[in-house]
Amino acid sequence: MNALDLIGVSVPNRLHDVSLTLAPGTLVGLVGPNGSGKSTLLQIAAGLLPGGGAVRWSDRPLGDIPVLDRGRAAAWVPQEAHFEFGFSVRSVVAQGRFAHGDDDRGIEQVLSRLDLLGLADRPVNRLSGGERHRVLLARALATEAPLQLWDEPLAALDVRHALEVLVLADEIKRAGRTLLLSLHDLRLAHCLDMVVILHEGRLRAAGLPTAVLTPALLREVFGVRAEIAPGLVLKLP
Amino acid sequence: MMPSPRASRIALPVTLLLLAGLMVASLGVGDLRLGPARIWAGLWHHDELAATILWQIRLPRLLVAMLVGAALAASGLVMQAYFRNSLASPGLLGVSSGGAAGAVVAIGAGWVSRSLLVLPAAAIAGALLATGAVLILARRGASTERLLLAGVALNALLGAVTSYVLSNFTLSYERNAQILFWLLGGLEDRTWEHGAIALPIVGAAALLWPLGRPMDLLSLGALEAQSLGVDVRRLRRWLLVLATVLTALATAVAGTVGFVGLIVPHVLRLLVGPEHRRLVPLSLIGGAAFVVACDLLGRAAGGLRVGIVTSLVGGPFFLWMLRRQA
Repeated sequence: MNALDLIGVSVPNRLHDVSLTLAPGTLVGLVGPNGSGKSTLLQIAAGLLPGGGAVRWSDRPLGDIPVLDRGRAAAWVPQEAHFEFGFSVRSVVAQGRFAHGDDDRGIEQVLSRLDLLGLADRPVNRLSGGERHRVLLARALATEAPLQLWDEPLAALDVRHALEVLVLADEIKRAGRTLLLSLHDLRLAHCLDMVVILHEGRLRAAGLPTAVLTPALLREVFGVRAEIAPGLVLKLP
Repeated sequence: MMPSPRASRIALPVTLLLLAGLMVASLGVGDLRLGPARIWAGLWHHDELAATILWQIRLPRLLVAMLVGAALAASGLVMQAYFRNSLASPGLLGVSSGGAAGAVVAIGAGWVSRSLLVLPAAAIAGALLATGAVLILARRGASTERLLLAGVALNALLGAVTSYVLSNFTLSYERNAQILFWLLGGLEDRTWEHGAIALPIVGAAALLWPLGRPMDLLSLGALEAQSLGVDVRRLRRWLLVLATVLTALATAVAGTVGFVGLIVPHVLRLLVGPEHRRLVPLSLIGGAAFVVACDLLGRAAGGLRVGIVTSLVGGPFFLWMLRRQA
């Protein structure tokens, strides 16, 4: 069984005939320059954007899955966290349980896991950008969905929280769930099981990080010269 | 600042008590003052003079005031969740003006005498047209500027339609009063017939009741809500229809009464937080209480129309909100 199948997915002017298969229990990174179609691909995979081609979750065509069931099967984290109303952090995270009949199960653990217990009663529209992003990740985790689709989960986070999210992602994967996340910092790619490179809306390469992130390809896709050099290395204590 | 859990707990009983007190006051105050004992006697026809005043004048007026207030406040709450903008409301977006224009066109064309249903149907048609125009002009999740500018344009346009129809189709001596009624809103001379026209508001409110939780999710983003298991397309369609029908029915019986849909949900949100499961019932009751209170104020001030009172209260409040947002 595959966790996610994208078969010839297309969106006019944004994504061209992308096919991709993710096995359960894998941590997959989606990389590419700005405007290469990463967010679009994640939205298609999450069933939030209509497009050509087919999407399957756990071998089921998306069209056969009722909306409420989708809320339990996959979680999507948007790139931007905008909140107009002052819901408390706890109540936003609890929204992750909507498709489970609002049973509030596991909310406290998720809050604690993302270092949000101290902020749980604060209004979410008064938080910093990074804190808001952690709230969105917590809400996605609260769904307990086996497929997690995260759009730039690390971009707004400080270095410690970014490393913690990567550790968390690894745990989730070990528990048999599947993560597809877009990221810009290629230095973090060594944590991933697989890297998918998008370029101008097309799938350019997919495979092991060491196999895919070659100097030649990085030069072609990003227009940069890659060098391996010793430098500052940051790890959790 | 988060609202305290205590405020959330006592909000519903307090609002209900407030409404009950205002209801008694509304029945008692007037040219002939009636105390609670005489109101009681009048309701059961033990006091014929009081009974006539209550059953012919004050009770229908009170009923219409409550229904109008509940409808406009709930409609405002829904629009704020829909547009993810706490400044959205039926008055500012021009939906009320659409309802008034629809009603006035029906009156001007002389269709109203045919059936009791014509007036609310025309108001609903007008309001739906205005809602459609807002949707086209200001897309979902629109910026405050776009929403308000779309509202300004629609209000001006629809106000002009209302004035034009009234000035061409009504006799001149009653023209001014009619224009004032529809543009400023009022509760004068409301009868049981108006109460009957507005009664479907109760049904619309009942349909809104279970949508509180999905509205929470929608108010934080449509795509997010969809991914969490909300059928966003269906929810949005329902919310728009309900908000429009609520506003249209209120407008069909009381003209355009401004700012209720803006102030009531906003104040309640400050008091009990943004969760719609609480805000839906509170807005219905709070909206009823607010319009009854404004009507009382207007009567105490020597017959000021309720729409003028809500605008006198709401105008400064709106400016304060804009300042806070900026």
